Amino acid sequence: MALSLQSWIANEGGKHFVLLLWLGVNTWLFARTFLCYYSGQHYYYLHKMLGLGLCISRASASVLNLNCCLVLLPMCRSLFTYLRGTHRVTSRKARRLLDKSKTFHVACGVAICVFSVVHVSAHLANMVNFSVRYSEDFPLINVARYRGEDPRLIVLTTVPGITGILLVLILFLMFTASSYCMRVSNYEIFWYTHNLFIVFYVILMLHVLGGALRYQTNVEAHPPGCLRANQSSPEQTGEESGQAVGDGRSCKEEAQFQPNSPETWLWVSGPLCFYCAERLYRYIRSNSPVTIVTVVRHPCDVIELRMLKKNFKAHPGQYVVLNCPNVSSFENHPFTLTGCPTEKKETFGIHLRVVGDWTERFAELLLCDPRAQSEVLPMVPQRKYPKLYVDGPFGSPSEEVFNYEVSLCVAGGIGVTPFACALHTLLDGWRHFRLRRLYFVWVCRELQSFYWFAELLCALHHKLWQENIPDYLNLQLYVSQTDGLQNISEERYMPLRSRLLIGRPRWKLLFEEIGKTNKHKRVGVFCCGPKGISQTLHRLCNSDRYSGTTFEFNKESFS
Amino acid sequence: MGKIEWAMWANEQALASGLILLTGGIVGVAGQFRDWQFAAYAVAAGVFVCLLEYPRGKRNKGTSVERTGQYCFTVCVKSFGPLTRNYYVRAFLHAAICVPGAFILATVLGCVCLGIASLIYLAAAIRGEHWEPILPREESARKPVAESIKRPPQNPPPRPPAEIRRKRAEDLEGAAYVNPIPITE
Repeated sequence: MALSLQSWIANEGGKHFVLLLWLGVNTWLFARTFLCYYSGQHYYYLHKMLGLGLCISRASASVLNLNCCLVLLPMCRSLFTYLRGTHRVTSRKARRLLDKSKTFHVACGVAICVFSVVHVSAHLANMVNFSVRYSEDFPLINVARYRGEDPRLIVLTTVPGITGILLVLILFLMFTASSYCMRVSNYEIFWYTHNLFIVFYVILMLHVLGGALRYQTNVEAHPPGCLRANQSSPEQTGEESGQAVGDGRSCKEEAQFQPNSPETWLWVSGPLCFYCAERLYRYIRSNSPVTIVTVVRHPCDVIELRMLKKNFKAHPGQYVVLNCPNVSSFENHPFTLTGCPTEKKETFGIHLRVVGDWTERFAELLLCDPRAQSEVLPMVPQRKYPKLYVDGPFGSPSEEVFNYEVSLCVAGGIGVTPFACALHTLLDGWRHFRLRRLYFVWVCRELQSFYWFAELLCALHHKLWQENIPDYLNLQLYVSQTDGLQNISEERYMPLRSRLLIGRPRWKLLFEEIGKTNKHKRVGVFCCGPKGISQTLHRLCNSDRYSGTTFEFNKESFS
Repeated sequence: MGKIEWAMWANEQALASGLILLTGGIVGVAGQFRDWQFAAYAVAAGVFVCLLEYPRGKRNKGTSVERTGQYCFTVCVKSFGPLTRNYYVRAFLHAAICVPGAFILATVLGCVCLGIASLIYLAAAIRGEHWEPILPREESARKPVAESIKRPPQNPPPRPPAEIRRKRAEDLEGAAYVNPIPITE
């Protein structure tokens, strides 16, 4: 599969452009601050004492300011949901960039860690230089109290020193708990340590208040390097940057110094207030009660839950976050909506698969009535469902299914949920969407899993046949476990029976077929399933297409 | 809710602390500051801690994700037996290693971070966790293919002679049979 430039640019171009822009801004900021301290007249004496350590530490500090400001913005999920849903961002290319917000957050986080290491290492050298090169000529720029003071004491007795150590420790805890492995196995540790960010920001704003580094205020009256009363010649320095303005001239007055004014709060306070406002908004919104209307048990450990909440509006493809205090007070779990509220039906629903501790306990609480024989348990007055809080809905890439003329939706197992919601919506009406053809590929391990949405698929299929557009929906179901003879035997699911294939799908052939029948069109590829499938599809989307079709890859991701 | 495996977090922390100790040691040695011998010790200690902590242990439940190329480290660490299996030993070892880092500024941070990692290891040990190596699974999951598939039969199965098999017009009832599998489209 040769990589095609056109396909690559269509899929990856936007992301890489933003990445380059961000790298460019960081580099420019680093270089500008470095040069300011390297050859700036205000810092001449300080630079002579500390050397390169001063320039590197200040330059990395300015990059840290920028990244601490940017790292919070991608996590404002409600804002992004609003931008996505109301199409305020009208270009689809720009909306696709919103899908990568978590990746951008991780990139900023990694930059913070890397530049913290640089910043701390440079300051370690600075501390030793403050101690060893204590300046008797200009006592104001010293941070050490006397020559040869133990650098550890300097750190522990200044505000920037202590706050700096605390910041490194918090960053250490946050960083070590954020690896992919930790998020998959012990999500609680990740979540609780990441919420230390508020402590981090508060201490960060205190860190810059120490006023340790001072700049010279009277550069005109006392040009740096000028001759002073008790000197015969300018001090010889080995560095090029020592070219001071005042070499050879005599000073009019003594050098005066003032601490740098802290600018971190300028960078950081805006995004911090914005993010805190968003969290508060989400908390208030999720506090209104949710009524559980129906609980349905499906095969293969799946439970369908239909709920009712006042003023709840959602688009297909969005997800909600559930919190059940009876199961765990602090855990929040995301689930994609499989049914959105419409004018005819006010309830919204999710399908959840019982896989871990939380879902097991939640399922027990929902299905705890052993006397009920039927699978459907309607709301009975004396039945006590557990109290449930729903936060959301939040936007996801799968909302764009209707905005392409041709879409390919690939679902793996329970990953079918975002597309199920889209299919429900199509059942109500398809004409007002841009979508004209939908290819739906659903791969499951067991045959029983298809019964989760068998009714929905057959209903949609019948409706489209009635309206004489049978090729609107192209359905393919795959059972990947090939043991034994498997077939859907019910009469009412006949459309599914003929579209059931045993074995894994052959993606390359599928793409070629879609390419041939949709020449020179832009096909949206949506994948929600295991990593293997999404990586294969991503590679195929980037590779050469001989039929002129462009495949744009959109991936749903959790964790 | 659910069992949290503290050892995994402690392992990540110890690996990061080893790197911090190593970096601090390099800065201290490169700057040739006073007492740079402590920095040299920190370089060696940092490398040792990284090598010890690189192989990830196996999770109790669920799939364990290996670090790239960790198999040879797993074999080395496994060979020390109970010394590396037990998290109490690791907790005290890290606590002992981190102490000399407190003597010069360059390695103070590495010392504090390794100290935190040692405390989390202690918590993991108290909860009864221990280190299990991740070893490659043997490929016995597939059912072995029977030998007979390679040697198909040469002769058709035995049948009664042709006269008995032919359907007779007078015995229509006996000639009918029911399909075991229903014919559907």
